[in-house]
Order: sequence, then C-alpha cells, then structure tokens
Amino acid sequence: MSDQILSNPLLGHLSTARRVRNKVAIGSIWLSVLVAAVPLAFVITYLVQRGIGIVDWNFLTDDIPISSRLPGPGMGPAILGTLLTTGAATLMAVPLGVLAAVYLNEYGGKGRLASVIRFLSDVMAGVPSIVMGLFIYTVWVLRYGQTGIAGALALACLMLPIVIRSAETALGLVPNELREASAALGSRTSRTILTVVIPAALPGVVSGALLAVARAAGETAPLLFTIGTVTESNTSLFEGTNTALSAQIFGNARQPFEAAIDRAWGAALTLIVLVFVLTFVARMVARRFTVR
Amino acid sequence: MTITTAPPRPPAPKALTSPGRAGLSDRGFRALSLGCGLLVLVILGLIAVAMTQKAWPAFTYDGLTFFTSTRWAPSAEVFGSLPFVYGTVVTAVIALVLAVPLSIGIALFLSDVAPGRLRRPVSSLVDLLAAVPSVVYGLWGVIVLAPWITGVYDNVSEITSPIPVLSSLFAGPSTGRGLFTAGIILALMVTPIITSITREVFDTVPTMAKEAAYALGSTRWEMVRAAVFPHSSAGMIGAVMLGLGRAMGETIAAALVIGSSPQISAALFGSGDSMAAVIANEFGEAGGLHRAALIGLGVELFALTILVNVIARIVVARGRRHA
Amino acid sequence: MRTRSARSAGPLAALLATAMLAVACGSDETPTAQTDTSVGGTATTREAQLTGSLNGSGATFPKGFYEVAIAGYKKAQSGVTVNYNAIGSGSGRQNLQDGVVDFAGSDGLVKEADVPKYKGEFLYVPTVAAPITVSYNLAEVKDLTLDAEVIAKIFQRQIKKWDDPAIAALNSGVRLPATDITVAHRSDGSGTTENFTLYLVAAAPNTWTLKSGSTVEWPTDTQAGNGNQGVAQIVKSTPGAVGYVDLSDAKASGLQFAKVKNKAGQAVVPSIESTTAALAGAQVAPDLSYNPLNADGAGSYPITAPTWILVYKNQTDKAKGDAVKSFLRYVVGDAQKLAKDVDYAPLPAALQQKAIAQIDSIVVPA
Repeated sequence: MSDQILSNPLLGHLSTARRVRNKVAIGSIWLSVLVAAVPLAFVITYLVQRGIGIVDWNFLTDDIPISSRLPGPGMGPAILGTLLTTGAATLMAVPLGVLAAVYLNEYGGKGRLASVIRFLSDVMAGVPSIVMGLFIYTVWVLRYGQTGIAGALALACLMLPIVIRSAETALGLVPNELREASAALGSRTSRTILTVVIPAALPGVVSGALLAVARAAGETAPLLFTIGTVTESNTSLFEGTNTALSAQIFGNARQPFEAAIDRAWGAALTLIVLVFVLTFVARMVARRFTVR
Repeated sequence: MTITTAPPRPPAPKALTSPGRAGLSDRGFRALSLGCGLLVLVILGLIAVAMTQKAWPAFTYDGLTFFTSTRWAPSAEVFGSLPFVYGTVVTAVIALVLAVPLSIGIALFLSDVAPGRLRRPVSSLVDLLAAVPSVVYGLWGVIVLAPWITGVYDNVSEITSPIPVLSSLFAGPSTGRGLFTAGIILALMVTPIITSITREVFDTVPTMAKEAAYALGSTRWEMVRAAVFPHSSAGMIGAVMLGLGRAMGETIAAALVIGSSPQISAALFGSGDSMAAVIANEFGEAGGLHRAALIGLGVELFALTILVNVIARIVVARGRRHA
Repeated sequence: MRTRSARSAGPLAALLATAMLAVACGSDETPTAQTDTSVGGTATTREAQLTGSLNGSGATFPKGFYEVAIAGYKKAQSGVTVNYNAIGSGSGRQNLQDGVVDFAGSDGLVKEADVPKYKGEFLYVPTVAAPITVSYNLAEVKDLTLDAEVIAKIFQRQIKKWDDPAIAALNSGVRLPATDITVAHRSDGSGTTENFTLYLVAAAPNTWTLKSGSTVEWPTDTQAGNGNQGVAQIVKSTPGAVGYVDLSDAKASGLQFAKVKNKAGQAVVPSIESTTAALAGAQVAPDLSYNPLNADGAGSYPITAPTWILVYKNQTDKAKGDAVKSFLRYVVGDAQKLAKDVDYAPLPAALQQKAIAQIDSIVVPA
C-alpha cells in the first residue's frame, strides 16, 4: 500500500536515506522471522526424528514400564497426569488471573494498591519454578501428602503472573468507546466488563492463557516434590501420587538405556503435539466469540 | 514524528451504574476482582516468608558472606552467592538482547509486514516455540547446539583475539556449554512470550493512525515508528518484563547448558552458573545447611527480580518524561 | 425429531460407560488370586495377599535395581503398588523426615544433627552395592591402572597429560599418548560424587584437598555433566577424557574403565565379584551402616558404593506396615538374584541375614 502512495507523483521524490532505512528495516523484520524459524525447525526436526518411531496407540495408553531398561510402551499415566494437573492448574489460574487483571485495569488503574499488585505480579514471574514447587511442598504437601492437586497448585502459581500481565494488557487495549457505549445503554460496570470488555479482549486473554498453559505443561521442577511418581494411571487429583509427561521426559532422558531415552523423546513429542493442538483449538474457539 | 500518543485513559464511567440493587452486584464483582488481585499479594508474601524462614540458617551462618563471597563449596560449608548472581544477570541480559529485537521483528511481521497467507503459519510458528517443553530445549541444547556451536565460538574467539575488550569477552576455548549458550536457549524460550503479547498490542493500533502516516508520505518503517510504537510502548514493556522474569527464573533448561561452574569470568563463551540452575542441580542431594543455602539463593533471586523491576520502571518513566 | 426417551439415552449411556470405566479402574485394587510363587523359585512361605500402595523416594544410584525389584515384587504381590521417585538421597531423607514417603533410598548416612528431626527411630536396611568406575576415553590404551594418589591428582588438575610419569609408573609396558586430560564430573548433586570423594579422602588423605560431599569445588578447567549419563556422554565424546561413572551407565555407554589399586596393592577391575569382595571385607556396625570404600581384601574393588533403604521402625498404619515389611523382605531376599543382571552386587550372605533380622524388627500395629 505504501508503494502506491510513494509512486504518487504528487508526493515528490523519496530521499535515498529514507528508502534505504525502510528497506533495511523491512529486511530485518523478515530476517527475524527466519532467525526464529531456523532453530525451531532444528528442534522440532530433532524431536520428531527421535520420537516418531515410538509413538503409537499403545504408547499413548499403556502403563509406564516399571523397569526402565525394558523396551516398549507407554506413557499413558503421564499423559493423564499432565492433563489432570495442567487442567486443574488452568481452572485455578485463568479465572483468578483474569479477575485480578480486571481489577488492575478497570478499577485500580494507577492507584497505589494496583501498582503494588502489578509490580508484585511481575516479580512473581521471575520466581524459579523449583521454588514454587518447594513453596507448595512446605505449605501443602507436608499437611496433605503428595497428590496431583499439589502439583496443580504449584503450576497455577507459575501460570498466574503470565495470565495477569497478558490479560491486563489485552483489557487495556479495549477502546474506551466500547465501555462508554455500554454504559450509555444502561449497563452496570460489572455487566459491561463481562459482556463487552472481556469479549473484546478475548484474543489477547486467550493468548496469554495459552502461553501460561504451555509453560505449565512443560515444567518439570515444580512437580518434583509435589506429585511423586506412578507407573500406573491415577485418575484422582486428591489421592495418591501422580506423574506427568514433563517429569517423565527429564527422568528418562537421564538414563543410559536406549529404551528409556526412546520413551523420553516419545513423551516429548506427545507433549508438544498436545499443547500445540490445544493452542490451535483454543484460538479457533476464541475467534468465534470475539467482539471486534 | 508521532501521530498518536496513547491518550491518558479516563476512569470508567460510574454515574450511570452505581445505585440500588445493581450497585450491589457491581460492588460484589469489584470486591471479587479486588480479592483476586490481593491473592497475588498473599501468595507472594507467603512465598517470601516461608522461604526466608527456611533460608535463615544460611544467611546468618557466617556473617554476610552469603551475599558477598564468590566461593561456593558445600563440602566445606562455604556458601557465597555472587557467582550465581553474576550468571543469572549475564544470561538474562544475553537472552533479552537476542530475544527483544527478534520478538518485536516477528510481531511487526505478523501485524504489518506479512503477506496474508504467511500470517497463519508464522503465528503457528510462535505457538510452536511456546509449546516446546523447557526440558526439551535443554536437552537439545546439550545434545545438538553445544557441540555444533563450539566451532562458531572458536572462530569468533580467533577473530576477536587482537581486539582488547572483545578478546576477553569472547575468549576461548569453550565446550559449547556456558553463559552464551544458555543465553541463546533462554532467548528461544522467551521469544514466544514477548512476541505473543507484543503482537496483540500491535494488532490494536487504530487503522486510522496508520493510514494517516501513509497519507503524510511515510515509508512503511516510518509508519511503524510513528503510529505503531508509540501506541504500544506500555504493552511492549509489559511483555519484556514478563520475558525477563522467565529468563531469570528458568530452571531445567539453564541447568543443562550453562556449564555448572560457579565462577565469575568475563568469558561469555565459558562455563558459569545461575541461581535457578544451581538450585535445580544441587537440591536433590542437599541436606541441612546446603539445602538452606539453596533456598537462600531462591530468596536472593526474588530480591534481585524486585530490584531489576524497580530499575526498569525508573528507566522507563524517565524515558517517557523525555519523550 | 428425537423423543424424550431417545434424548436422555445419550447422557444415560455416557453415565453407564463412565460407571463401567470406574469399576474397571477400581478393580485393579482388589487382590487377585496368585497361583505362581514369587520370582526366584526358592521355597518361600506363602505370604498373605496384601493391598495398598507404598511411596518411596531418594537416591538415583540404586534406581536400576529398585526398578527390577519393584517389577518382581508386583508379580508376588499384585495388590501392592510401589512407587519409587528418584530425586536424590538428600531429598529422599528429607521426605522421610517429613513423613511424606513410606521409605527412603539413600547412598549416605544421616548426619547426627539430623537424627532428632525424624518422626521416630528409623532403620538402615542395606540393599545392594555397585562399583563406581573411573572411565576414560583413550582409543589406543586398552588396559589402564590407576591408584588413589594419581586419581586425586588427575581430578584436582595437578596431572594434566596422559603421559605424565606418575601414570606411566603404574602402567609399565603401556604406550600412553601425550593427550591432554579432560576431567568430567557431575554438575548435579550426587551420592556418586559423595562416595567417590569419600574414597579419595580415605585413600589419598594427603593429596586430596577438595573434601567430600554431594557437590565439591571442582577446578574451573573441568567439565560438568548432568547425571551419570551426562558424565558418560562427555567421556564418550571427548578423546582424552576421564570421569567417574557408575558401572551400569558406563557399560550401557560402552566406556572403558580403569583398574584401580586397592588397599592391598592389587589392581582390581570394577565388577560384581570385586564389589562383593569389598562388601565382605567391610566392617558392619550394629545399625547396619557400613563403609565398603577402600576395603581390605585382595580382590576388593576400592571404589564401591553402598546404599540403604531407610524406614521407620514403628509403623503407624497396619496395612502400610505389613506392605513395607513384605516389600523390604523381597528386596533383600528374592530380588537379590536379580541384582547381577542389572550390574549391581547382591549382599553377601552374612549381611543379608542381618538385613532380614533388621526388617523383622519393624513394629506394625495389630
């Protein structure tokens, strides 16, 4: 579009400096996409190479072999564990985070309390995942034992700052006219927020939530001390230890046995496909409900 | 030349909504959201208190040497945290220096530069970057990146050896596992976060502002600088803060590629260690004072994150004032 | 248009399916009749069938053995699920201290100062042992002999080349290349490091200055690998590298390992036999703690690492207590036959008897 305008004889000749600067900038932008795509391609290729051989229906459903040197499937309990813990963590962190962001953006604004909460949320983003796990170990596991929900709590703590920050940004980008229009029609503030502002901000909120979910699904450290381990599927969040794909990847990749390493990469491939599919589906759903 | 600066937002109109039963549910909702905000405070406060309590023996063990000593020797019960502070800061800086331009570039690509049919694939590329588990980045770093990049490092070392400051920064030899490699891996992990949020922000730049820029004869790049960046500065900063937090706190991936050598050395290609990495590495076997010292590193990282955030906010505020 | 009954058939079917699934999952816990005897074949009095689950955590060193033991135990007692989370000896002990697990795997002994932190008296049950190899990467050298002094100097970077006179003195007749030595050690805290350094403290006290622990202050011009596997990887891919790796990982990675001179002056290959010899030559304390490092005996391999399972003497829950006793009896009993196949040394007979007596002393409420 800018080329059409630039070729407009009424606008005069474009200086070389500006043209060069433009070309360099646009070129750098294309380059940055390449620079990100290349290592990703390498990582994904490596992952697929090492994982594709082992992933099949049995791998996805069978129990984890008790003795890791034995070849064969599967990672069923780990997939279940990841779905349970990450799912529970999402159910806790996303509503909480979005509501906190609503406070920060719609009510708190630049007030003292809001600034403090915003600041602390950023600080929370920097807490190492292992410290979150230790924290939940100290306040929950010592009382209630190692269970899936403990792991979910640790993951939720990890997710919260990401959800808050990205949701707040998204809410802040909703033009005020929408709020004013809704108020002009007689809507309560809360109703405005729920039916107008949040839907308008939905793509941003969903993006943030997905980033948080991706992080939670891929983290090992918070689960180390909170969920223990199992080799058979445990469908309960509140009773008994559990495991997750991320923990299994780390544990198995450190073993010297080919069989264990194969399963580790199979689990890695499964996890990335899981998260990616979820991301895709969530974005589709969000597109349906967006108000633009 | 700026076309628009983000106007200060007036508070949401209240006059039409407060009184009566409607006001009650309004207040209820406000209280609920306030409660959630406070929850962040509570959780963080609990973390700080619980962790400091556990770390106390290490802090008071030998005066303030925990914070000032450069020597970490658990077998001799000597715990100095400086090498890890150094490693954390250096790897985070490297990660941001690499990731921020990259992320902004990709975000601009998605919002303004990409031809329509490339938008979806590149967007999926970013989602894919986020979907890779951190442990996989670490493993790939050790197995694939480190051995390969040793060659690159050696070349750079050779080229920079006659130049005074650069020669010590890029000194060889290297095993491929070290501060710079950790920085690269962290950059890969941080990019999707910054890109995702920044892209959302860029997407909401009013088309009118962009068209106004073009109407005045700007090139595409000039339009970006005039219309997109000013509108997005707050959002971009938020995104970078989140990325920084991730870079400083990343545990497993850093632990695998950073070289695990607690030392303070200018050689970026050489081994180092970071707070999160050493906690991840040594916690499993640690007991007693060693364990307390590791938790102490966690508390110190907490404090460091606060400090970094404060500095960043001051810098940004000053930048805004001069704009 | 669907009739009302048809409309409710859908959810009803789903409910039914879920219920069936729940029953199917739940049925895993009821004990099934066992017709075969437990793995091993020797006559054991048939135990009552137990149910429940046991959680343990701790050392990664014995994980290879505990896994086959748990798998074997499952055949004997299918109603009991045992989970072992290998997160490190220190954390295992901490978990037991906190009462979060039922037993802990530990390569090292509990420090005096920590004993009162436990919820009661705990017992050491020795389970297996395994040698720590000094693995190296020198294609031309098929046979290498080292001793404690030389090992200490190599890992402290006082000896930097393979053709150093100190190494040559131990290997007359072997052509040592002039390659630089690359030292590989653990980046993560490890019981293997602890036992390796304890050995050097005991056998080369005047040379080794880095003390012992799960992490030590290695010289900065060395390389760190994550896990035994990480160290093995470095040794395997770097000509001239040397590192300490447990036998299981060294064999799986195809590494060459050195003979080490023991206390009696004999150069011994790390193997199951030389490990068992070290165990036999070690002094066993009444609480069953013992130290096979640098043991007496002509055939003993000097860098032999012990490992124990820690468990509370007074169990609070009958079902768990019975299960723990049954599992531990299996580990020091029938499972010992499985140890060799996975590169661990079984307990010598005398120690095994003491271990069984130790387990019998566990008190279970009625």
